[in-house]
Amino acid sequence: MVQIHKETVRYLARLCRIACTEEQENALLHDMKEVLSYIDLLNEVPTDGVTPCNNVSMSCMQTPLRADTVKQTLSAKDFFENVPQHTARLVRIPPVRGQGG
Amino acid sequence: MHHFSATELHRQFIDGTLSAADIVRHTLARIDAHNGTLGSFLTIFHERALKQAEALDEKKRRGERLGRLAGVPIAFKDNMNIKGEITTCGSKFLTNFKAPFSATVTELLEHEDAILIGKTNLDEFAMGSSTENSALQKTRNPWNLKCSPGGSSGGSASAVAARLCPLALGSDTGGSIRQPASLCGVVGYKPTYGRVSRYGLVAFGSSLDQIGPFATAVEDVALMMEIMGRHCEKDSTSIQKGPDAIVKELNTPIGGMKIGVPWQFLEGLEPQYQQSFQESLKVYQDLGAECVEVDLSMLKYSIAIYYILATAEASTNLSRFDGIRYGVRSPKATTLEEVYDLSRQEGFGDEVKRRIMLGTFVLSSGYQEAYYRKAQKVRTLLLQKYAEAFSKCDLIATPVSPFAAFEIGSIKDPLQMYLADIYTIGANLAGTPAISVPSGFTKDGLPIGLHLTGPQLADSTVCRGAYAFQKVTSFHKQSPKAFS
Repeated sequence: MVQIHKETVRYLARLCRIACTEEQENALLHDMKEVLSYIDLLNEVPTDGVTPCNNVSMSCMQTPLRADTVKQTLSAKDFFENVPQHTARLVRIPPVRGQGG
Repeated sequence: MHHFSATELHRQFIDGTLSAADIVRHTLARIDAHNGTLGSFLTIFHERALKQAEALDEKKRRGERLGRLAGVPIAFKDNMNIKGEITTCGSKFLTNFKAPFSATVTELLEHEDAILIGKTNLDEFAMGSSTENSALQKTRNPWNLKCSPGGSSGGSASAVAARLCPLALGSDTGGSIRQPASLCGVVGYKPTYGRVSRYGLVAFGSSLDQIGPFATAVEDVALMMEIMGRHCEKDSTSIQKGPDAIVKELNTPIGGMKIGVPWQFLEGLEPQYQQSFQESLKVYQDLGAECVEVDLSMLKYSIAIYYILATAEASTNLSRFDGIRYGVRSPKATTLEEVYDLSRQEGFGDEVKRRIMLGTFVLSSGYQEAYYRKAQKVRTLLLQKYAEAFSKCDLIATPVSPFAAFEIGSIKDPLQMYLADIYTIGANLAGTPAISVPSGFTKDGLPIGLHLTGPQLADSTVCRGAYAFQKVTSFHKQSPKAFS
């Protein structure tokens, strides 16, 4: 069984871009250990030479791509309605490298 | 009128017994009266629905074409887009998200003149089996208000069970339509993977998600599938095939049909559920169907496969919620990195975080082969077992859930909650159509459901099998007394 530690949780939190308090890290570590230990059940299934299932759909037998043509799908007005902070036509974000950047 | 099925309500609108305005006023009055207790709806479309009803009555007066759902109110799980309305996904992250476009299912249902009545509660981003993970409100089971309606489409299930509306939409990634349907005593349907477009559904596990209906009767599910089950060019997983004729097939007798039962997989089922299941099989035998044993012992791995693949897909899908383009941005963020880190910390609930973390872990360098790839391989083996089983039978029957509705707050361990989906997850992993149909009650008077699944694209056979059962039983006609 793979061992995970608090450092693993911290590393994952960084990869996921989710800030965590120490208490949250402890809870996540506990829950993940439990689920991973359950998931180890799969190790009893021999899978040498088995092709991984990438798409379960019968549609994967067909060509799912539509014609590559330009269409107006979303107006700028509708888009900006949901942007948390913006100017007239630009999405506003804080400084990329911090205040001292 | 709230006890009418959608099919019956539509008929009464067409023959002039009821106007659309009457139907909507009655429906809204019931929702307003009971939603405070049940918490089924997050948004109620008072003005929109009345306006739509008046327009529909006018359309009828002018003798224009009327759709197949004209006069029928329908609720949407709040992870599907209706242009101009808020789509929260039950999350604090999206409390202000106004859908800039409509889902394909919204357009198909509007084209058939269905009346959009509101949006229903769900586990946050459809992650859960009790609707307790909603960040916005609690939803209760109309059969026992101390109990959960199941999840994740718990709002839709409780609304239909309490007869607040005859139809509702849900989404099903591991059982999120069928399990709440079973716990609330209504019909719930998960179509073949790719049969109903997911365009406009907020994605959770893309190789598993399907949109499907809740109803009080199988004929309504069949009608909904004829309307929604068609190709959509905006969803690349949409099957390129026209709609099936499901409604007219419902009455074809099922004599000679073979019902597969994976007995080995059902070992350990509690006696009262075991007895109810055997009584359901007896109904089929009396109808001339034959029960045969099939080997699906591989299903014991289904939850492990699911919690690797679904979380991996969720971690990818939910990376779009970054506080930049939509959703709630943390007011504390002073740098770009903090926008991501803090918006996601504040916006997501515990279960969503747990799944994103687990999904990221199984996809991360060094672990992908041992977890993600391994799960994909076992999924291949499971598909082979389903194919073998379907070479011996037309449908496979199991219970929907190992237990009936449970008290809110009684399952605290996430893993125990995951195990609630043991009988439903297989159909998502195999992409097969599956239905939950009311099939009995516990000694405490809580509903029990029967689960039927068929091969991919056998949606019509699954509906026919469920309809045959419904025709000779009366469980679907019973509704919770407190809301009658």
